[in-house]
Amino acid sequence: MSPRPLTPARYVASLGAWAALWLTVAAVAVVVGGRLWTWDSRAQLADVLWLRLEWVATASAVGASLALAGLAMQALLRNPLAEPYILGVSGGAGLAYVLGSLFLSIAYAPRLAVAGALVTVALVYAIARRRGRLEPYTLLLAGVILNAFYAAGIMLVTAVVRPEQRGEIAVWMMGNIGAFGPQWWLIAEVAVQAVGAAILFAFLAKGFNLVAVGEDTAGALGVRVHRLRVVTFVAASLLAGTSVALAGPIGFVGLICPHLLRMLLGPDHRRLVPAALFFGAAFLVLADLAACLWEGATNRSVPVGVLTAMCGGPFFIYLLRTRWRRRMEVR
Amino acid sequence: MAQTDGSAMTNSGDEAKRGGSPHPPREERPRRESSLASLAQNDSARRGGQDCPPRDKVSARDAASLQAEGLTFAYTPGEPVLAGLSMTAPAGRLTAVLGPNGSGKTTLLKVLVGLLSPSAGQVRLSGRPLASYRRADLARRLAYVPQETLAAVGFTVLETVLLGRSPHIGALGFESDADWRAARDALRLTETDRFAERDLADLSGGERQRVIVARALAQQPDAVLLDEPTSFLDIRHQHGIYGLLRHLVSDRGKTVVTVSHDLSLASAYADAVVLLARGEVAAAGTPQEVIRPEVLEPVYETPIQVRTDETTGRPYVLPRPPGSRKTTYG
Repeated sequence: MSPRPLTPARYVASLGAWAALWLTVAAVAVVVGGRLWTWDSRAQLADVLWLRLEWVATASAVGASLALAGLAMQALLRNPLAEPYILGVSGGAGLAYVLGSLFLSIAYAPRLAVAGALVTVALVYAIARRRGRLEPYTLLLAGVILNAFYAAGIMLVTAVVRPEQRGEIAVWMMGNIGAFGPQWWLIAEVAVQAVGAAILFAFLAKGFNLVAVGEDTAGALGVRVHRLRVVTFVAASLLAGTSVALAGPIGFVGLICPHLLRMLLGPDHRRLVPAALFFGAAFLVLADLAACLWEGATNRSVPVGVLTAMCGGPFFIYLLRTRWRRRMEVR
Repeated sequence: MAQTDGSAMTNSGDEAKRGGSPHPPREERPRRESSLASLAQNDSARRGGQDCPPRDKVSARDAASLQAEGLTFAYTPGEPVLAGLSMTAPAGRLTAVLGPNGSGKTTLLKVLVGLLSPSAGQVRLSGRPLASYRRADLARRLAYVPQETLAAVGFTVLETVLLGRSPHIGALGFESDADWRAARDALRLTETDRFAERDLADLSGGERQRVIVARALAQQPDAVLLDEPTSFLDIRHQHGIYGLLRHLVSDRGKTVVTVSHDLSLASAYADAVVLLARGEVAAAGTPQEVIRPEVLEPVYETPIQVRTDETTGRPYVLPRPPGSRKTTYG
């Protein structure tokens, strides 16, 4: 089935529909909540709703960022399994953030996280690039190795710090929303960045489509492939880095969201980019709501990062067995 | 039919002369006119002689000549793949680039479409240096069919062909009716319209190759450059593709440059042949001038037998197994 031609009217309509979906999910999450079931007074209720709003805002900004970063990396690396967490970008940002917050100042930590993400993207790209081509297997192996390296780095840090800091690092590394007190300034930064990246990617979507199909094809059709890569990788590193600074490394959102959207909308990035912004946001809000409800029911806290990883692992295997294999056979 | 006059390397002028191209001809070779006209007649006769309009009907304004002047290119310093290579693909002609593995054919094509920048020398498109074109303008004038197979990322055939409209559409990428019409035209011309709605991944190699050619046609370029477009195809589809290229040249006035390993196929369809060896032009001219054992054997370093097709007058190549008699010239 071929989708109907994309017209400006349809574009705006779908944008509105996705925004409405996200707003609905966000409203439900604020009303239903999960954590903090009881309140005694009206004033306390207001506080509870305000807190929930902060969590929903955090989850939205982080979810949108990760979905957009995953979508862009999959297109530009021409690999359906590329994602900030899998390629070690989140791990690099995490290690840089932990080092920064322990030894420098918490104020610099988010910037260091972005730097860590950038360095990792550059490393993965350099390792996997041979004779001007990206080797799909080498790319994933590079991610695996860098992830192991960063995990060892974090363990080393955990081993040498004071015992009371260990718990903090452990909780943060699991990927947590709202576990570190109010950080409205950082939430706003991540949200603005996500919207900015979505607008940027909407204008690059045509190039994403072409590069995903073939690098030489894209070049001959007027895409400056190298420039597009640099711009996109820097944007994706900013998205992933600041998300990690805000909520720790949350895995597989950047894998699950783009692929669910592809199943729904097809491979056209002109449709996928605006959808990823709102769907990624709604997805992580829902995941966090599930984590909150679990916590409310069992009185045990469940980091949302653990939840997404538990869904994401099987999904990764599913993709490896279907999309990846099919794509490899076609070559 | 014997042709010994002029080389195909230097006749970019005749298009400009007749069509009023804004770029003055570099070198006038009026006598080429007759030989090329006879080639076109030849071609028309081969295909039954009904569907070839006179050359004058084809607007030469759209045609583009490509000239390589002293191209040097190396992927690794000190190992040049192109070593001061000069050639011309005349406007409105089918030029075949031949040569052994590693002789620089693919690299030459990539330099000609501007994907690679030469370390020395330059390429001229319609007389103007390639570097002076904006990337998007170039994409509207030159279509490239690379050797890489398109990754099947889930696009249908129609969507894949529509990608060829990219240089013509705006930043947000909404296609106009004209874009859809161009895509449908390209599908019809390549006879891929009956599987327009199918996923690219579900097609056979031959079908996919035709879709890629359709994508290049949807681009509505002045020149099409193809890198071994028939390498996965059976004999029927090989002739299908070359017949299509012939149609683009003879009926639509496009310039076509194709890299090929199949000497006979290239000889049967091309107006001009450029033979590469180690990054340089070893020979260039009409098929009759180049497809000869004494030209081919030193380049390919293997015994080669050449015969002539009696009906078309075109040479073709036969393999000569070890131990067979010395070369006979057809």
